[in-house]
Order: sequence, then C-alpha cells, then structure tokens
Amino acid sequence: MLKILAIARNTFKEAVRNRILYILLIFALLIMASSGVISDLTIAAKDKLIKDLGLASISFFGLLIAVFVGIGLVYNEMDKKTIYTIISKPIDRYQFVLGKYGGLLLTVYVMMLIMTAFFLFVIYFQDLVSDETVSAAIGKISEQGIYQAPTVAQYGMYLIQSFFVATGRTMGTLLQLYHSPLTANILAVVGYSCLELAIITAFAILYSTVSSPTLSAIFTVLTFIIGRMSEDIIRYAWRLNEKGLTVALGGKLKYWFVVAAAHVSPNLELFNKRSEAIYKEEVPWDGLAVYYGIVYSAMIILLAIIVFRRRNFK
Amino acid sequence: MAIVETTDLTKVYVQDVIGVEYGRIKIRLKGRRVAALQELNLTVNEGEIFGLLGPNGAGKTTAIKIFMGLIFPTEGNARIMGKPLGDRRVKAQIGFLPENPYFYDYLKGWEFLDYYGQLYGMARKTRRAKIDEILEMVGLTHAANLPLRGYSKGMLQRIGLGQALLNDPRIVFLDEPQSGLDPFGRKEMRDIILNLKEEGKTVFFSSHILSDAEMICDRVGILYKGKLINVGYLRDLLSAQIKEYEIVASNLQEEMLKDLEGKCERVIVRKQDVMVCVRQKADAEKIVRTILASPAQLVSYIPRQETLEEYFIRQIEGGGQ
Repeated sequence: MLKILAIARNTFKEAVRNRILYILLIFALLIMASSGVISDLTIAAKDKLIKDLGLASISFFGLLIAVFVGIGLVYNEMDKKTIYTIISKPIDRYQFVLGKYGGLLLTVYVMMLIMTAFFLFVIYFQDLVSDETVSAAIGKISEQGIYQAPTVAQYGMYLIQSFFVATGRTMGTLLQLYHSPLTANILAVVGYSCLELAIITAFAILYSTVSSPTLSAIFTVLTFIIGRMSEDIIRYAWRLNEKGLTVALGGKLKYWFVVAAAHVSPNLELFNKRSEAIYKEEVPWDGLAVYYGIVYSAMIILLAIIVFRRRNFK
Repeated sequence: MAIVETTDLTKVYVQDVIGVEYGRIKIRLKGRRVAALQELNLTVNEGEIFGLLGPNGAGKTTAIKIFMGLIFPTEGNARIMGKPLGDRRVKAQIGFLPENPYFYDYLKGWEFLDYYGQLYGMARKTRRAKIDEILEMVGLTHAANLPLRGYSKGMLQRIGLGQALLNDPRIVFLDEPQSGLDPFGRKEMRDIILNLKEEGKTVFFSSHILSDAEMICDRVGILYKGKLINVGYLRDLLSAQIKEYEIVASNLQEEMLKDLEGKCERVIVRKQDVMVCVRQKADAEKIVRTILASPAQLVSYIPRQETLEEYFIRQIEGGGQ
C-alpha cells in the first residue's frame, strides 16, 4: 500500500510539474471568468447560461487533463525506460498500475477542485460588479452601428473589480455558502463529473498501456463521446426494433452489434446532472450512478492490470 | 555458491502481424521470429564479478531484462538466489542499473533517491541516512538539490548507480555501465565495482568495452548472436593461449639477422634494434640462446598473452558461423 502511495505521489508530482496542466487550467479559468460577460449578451436566463457554461467547462477541462496529462504519464515511463528501474524494485506490476491511476486521479481531482472554487467565486460575485464596468467590458455599438470592442484597460478593470468585490464577499459568506442550495447543487454536479472522470481516467490508463499516446488520446476521447451517447443509441435502436424498422440499422446482425457495443461502452450520460442543477431545485442522490461509476472504473483498471502483467518491456 | 543460475533460457521475439498473448492463451498470425537469446546456461557465483561480453545485439540486455522480470522468457528458466524470477524478497536484494539510464528529469537528485527508497520499502529515517551515504559515495552531494534535468550523462550514470545500491543489494546488475562515459568516469565506475566486490557483493555486468572488462572481471561469458560461446575464468581463457614470443636484441650481426628472417614469423628492424616474433616456445628459447652466445645484446624476451579482445574476435569468428 505504501508503495502504491509512493508511485501515486510521484505521478502527481510529475503532473503538477508539467506545463500542459497549467495551460489547460488557465484556459478553463479564462472561460469561466468570461462567462459573466458572455451571459450579458443573452437576453434571458443569464444565470442558467453562466451555470451551464461553467459546469460544462469544468467537466470538459477535466476530460482534457485526464487525456493529455494522463496518457503521457504512463507512456513516458515505457518510452523513456524509467519503468525498467521501477519494475525491478520489489513491487508488483499491479501496484504500478494502481499507483499511476491514483496519482492521475488525484491530479484531475485537484484541478477540478480549483476550477470549482473559481466557478463558485464567479457565480456568486459577478452580479456585484457595477453595470457600467460590465457594459464597458462588453463593448458597445457606436452610432454608426459598428461594434466597438472594449479596450484591454476596460476589460482589465472589469476583471480587477470582480476580483476585489468577490474576495470581500467570499470572506463574509464563506460559512453560509456551504449551506446554500446552489452551492450544494454545483458540488453535486461536480461530484458526479468526478465519477465520470474516474471511468475516463481508467480508460486512459488502459489504452496507454497498450498503444501510443496519440492513439490512446483518440481512443479515450472516442470512448467519452460514445459513452455520452450510448444511452441514446440504445434507445434509438430499441425504438426502431419495436417498430420493425431494423432494416434502417442494416439488418438484425448490425442491430445486435450496435446494442451490444452501446452496452459495453460506459453509460456516461448517467453522470450528467447539469440539467437537474440548472432547471430543478436540487440534484437528487443517484445511487445507481455512484455504484456504476465505482464498479466500472474498477473493472477497467483490473483489465489494465491484466494486460500490464504479462507485458514485455522491450 | 551459485547466485544466478539459468537453464536453457530462451527468448524469441515474434514480430506478430497480429498477436495477442496472455499466459497460455495465444492468438497470433505469425511474422518473422527473432531469437534474441538461445538456450543460455549460465551460473554466476556469489561474490564474483561476472562480465557478460558480446557485440551489440548479442542478447546481453535481453538476458538482464529477463533477470529483472521486465520480459518473460519464451522457454527455460532462471533462478536468482535459488528462487524463481519475480520473487519480491529476491528483488529486494537486487540492484539494477539499465543501459543509458534516463530518469524522471523533473525530480531533484535527492527526491529521486527518496522515491526509489520508498519503493524498496525503506522507512523514512533509514532512507535519509542511506541517501546521504549514497550521494557521498557516487560523488553527487553537491547536486542533491538540482533537478535531474540539469545532470550530465556521467552524473545520470552515477545517480543511476546510486539507486541500484540504495538497498544494499547482494547482487548488482549493471547493463553497459561504462558506455558513454569519459576515461575518468570509466575509471571511477571501475573503482566502485571493485569496491562492491570487496564488500562481498556479486556484480553482474554486460559490456562491449573489453579492456575495462579485462581489468575487473573474475569470470566472463561471451555471447554472440544469442548464444553463449564460452564462459570461464579470465586467466584460464587467456593464459592457456600464449600467442607469441617477442624477442628484442640490439647490434645483431648481418648473417644472424638473415638466418632469423628465414625462421621467424615477423622481423622488424629499427636502427640497431631488431624485434623478432615466433610462435613456438622451443624456437624462441633457441634464438635467445644464440643471441646470448653472440656479441649481440638481448634487450627483452616476452611471452605475449592474447588480449581479451583478440580472444574475443577469435571466439566469435570460430563460433559465430
């Protein structure tokens, strides 16, 4: 166990000393910071847009971090042969896989935490920024009907003002904030996103034990996309089958293939609680999603261990 | 006592067109087969320095990787300290330095050793003391807080050796420990290896730099195209073969020189000195006696041993085909 922790800690160290991580993080924070401005461009449902955009970017950048940081981590060990000295130490190969998975997951979660904290900061406090500053930051339409973009100084003013107002309010409401239903909803959504990323990270590890980083990245992203759609695919296929329209799916064989494939791929839509958080009062506890996430990740990691155990390091 | 023993150790790389292999289950569309190691039978005794020698691609690294559990043999088996490969208790007593090591360049020297110490399961206190000791030994105390990114090749090799010795191993495997080092670095590596032997550790190393091997090995094995051509004590392998006798004399008379030119392999005249080489001991002694009886002076009489390099080339030419 201590050895797994040592490997996980080293993996985390490697990740946080990697520049890509910060580039991704900065992008995520910039998008969230801008969501206030973007939402001012919409006519209605300003709150909903901010929330949707923020929550979507947390989940999306979580995915990007898992893919771009994660895949390099395992592959580099083999490519640069550092794994030679690790495997020859008194550890088992499964400990290596678990350590890598743990370290990567920790990295992803720490980043999620930072993004979530920043996001809460944005949604709570951007309303407090004066309208003039906001409109200056959006830019204006001149009398001739030409859009004039804000100057850097105006935009900077907006960011600085948001920052100070927000910091002041944060101090005051830090304790209340925890109890607010909005915060609870957002944390719930992020929590389910974390489960989703546990599965995706497990896939990233599995793929990178058997193929090159580029292929692994493509596979992982594809898994994510298919996973997000699998529920729809199954539903669509069933509906067609019920109506006797399997011809549209290219015959029975192809129908069963599609259904089987959709079942094997992870059902990631289960973890998407954004609409509940935005349009409903609260995000309900979804026991199925929690167990599904844990069991599915465990199975994929088990598969990665099985593959890794018999691997020759040429 | 044997510390490493292999029986018919074979590794065949199959370049599969399609290949899935898991334990006994094999599904494959076979491509070209490349035997990296063929029926290696080898014994290494405890406390000796054993050199596995051979040209590039001979299978040296393959053998070491099998010992380290990085690859699995196709056939045959090996035992280290009497236990099958991959045994964790055995691994805890092994040190390993791979060829051209590359380590985590984002770690500082000290952090790197600390990480590996944790993998050996060493307690924090022991780790600290041992790391200081190791850094001192490999001469990197000054670089302990520098990231490995800034290390030179020689420094990387030294910190690599450091991680291999962290656990006070009974046996150390070094894959080409001297490749890429300057003469000074090679000498240091040699001294460290000899020190390890003095401490009672077994050293198993592979090399193609024969002059270095000659200086430190007790026994050598010669590997060529995956086959072990010969193995034995260096002195037995070499001293049995006196290659030629070299006689140098000065102020030799004309007719004697002519006489020698007819009898000897080579005659080299340099000013008043003459060097002659003969294969047979009896011939050499006869020449020496003649020179002594004549007014000429005998400068030297040296029976020349075969160097490891010459032996090596002869072995490969004989056994490789």
